[in-house]
Amino acid sequence: MNLRELPKVLDLEVLQDTFDDRPLSGAYTSDLLSDVMAHANDADVLITIQSHKNTVAVASLVGVGAILLSNNRPVPEEMIQAARDESIGIFRSRENQFVLSGRIYRILNAE
Amino acid sequence: MTIRADLHNHSCLSPCGDLEVSPIRLARRAAERGISLIALTDHNAAGNCPAFAEACRRVGLMALFGTETTSREEVHILSLFPDVESALDWGRWVYDRLPDFRHDPEKLGDQVVVDVDENILAFEERYLIPAIEASIDDIVAETLQRDGLVIPAHIDRSAHSIYSQLGFLPDLPFSALEITRRPPPPGAEDYTLICDSDAHFLDDVGRRTFTFSAEISVDSSGQEVFNALAAALQERRTTLSI
Repeated sequence: MNLRELPKVLDLEVLQDTFDDRPLSGAYTSDLLSDVMAHANDADVLITIQSHKNTVAVASLVGVGAILLSNNRPVPEEMIQAARDESIGIFRSRENQFVLSGRIYRILNAE
Repeated sequence: MTIRADLHNHSCLSPCGDLEVSPIRLARRAAERGISLIALTDHNAAGNCPAFAEACRRVGLMALFGTETTSREEVHILSLFPDVESALDWGRWVYDRLPDFRHDPEKLGDQVVVDVDENILAFEERYLIPAIEASIDDIVAETLQRDGLVIPAHIDRSAHSIYSQLGFLPDLPFSALEITRRPPPPGAEDYTLICDSDAHFLDDVGRRTFTFSAEISVDSSGQEVFNALAAALQERRTTLSI
């Protein structure tokens, strides 16, 4: 599966659509940006609740293609703008990180 | 006499800070805005404090020196000291605990150490934003042990604040709490409150300040200034601009 297919498969809102497609081969779940920096280098999607501009900077650093925000978290416009500038997608779900991680894990391990 | 203070400011050493914010320009802007006591608190680093001390001397400001440290929980905490040497020593303690992520100035902004005349002395190569290997408790204990003041920064912000990261206020001997708006979060009124600009750009210097009364001036020693502030915080004698 490709990254661009994920919103449809998981019923996600797409808040920022300017990003490059890529095969979905890894994901990472964390709310500590320092932890993401240390461990998320193979992730294509970052699952987090940290909806602020700094998340985009860190996502860009580790090479994540899209950020998936959980718990229907409000997203400030400056985060969306930053993501647009960096070509990183922003998705959002009502679901929590446990559920989202579980679903993406299953997708990645079924293929 | 009424002292107007702004204890949270960033220079060009902080990557998110504007390259324009050299210590001398920061000092001049603070003076223009009626601030008489200013602190430099770059992220996890005190490298511009020597230049800042000289800048404040030239401009005629009282100054304190320290860092805005990122704890393991990713809470931002201010640690303030009366003199450059203590701040640099503290800076070394922080830096020893900072993971070694190579900095990318193009993506993240420059991290520049300068002298008072804005000559570049060094580029900091380790990314200064990430969390250090020390908890909130560790940072509080170490700062107080070194006779500094320890103040959780912007406790009411939605990121990097005690409330955003923990959801509650731990029972620790903070010197004060820094808020950015009213009303303060529940539990915060048990502590002395201050507000500061958290300026990353010159335009923001002094956008929030607080005042306290003390008989200190630019002719006072750093320790006298520090002690007067510490007493005001201890006795809860602060008036916030917000």
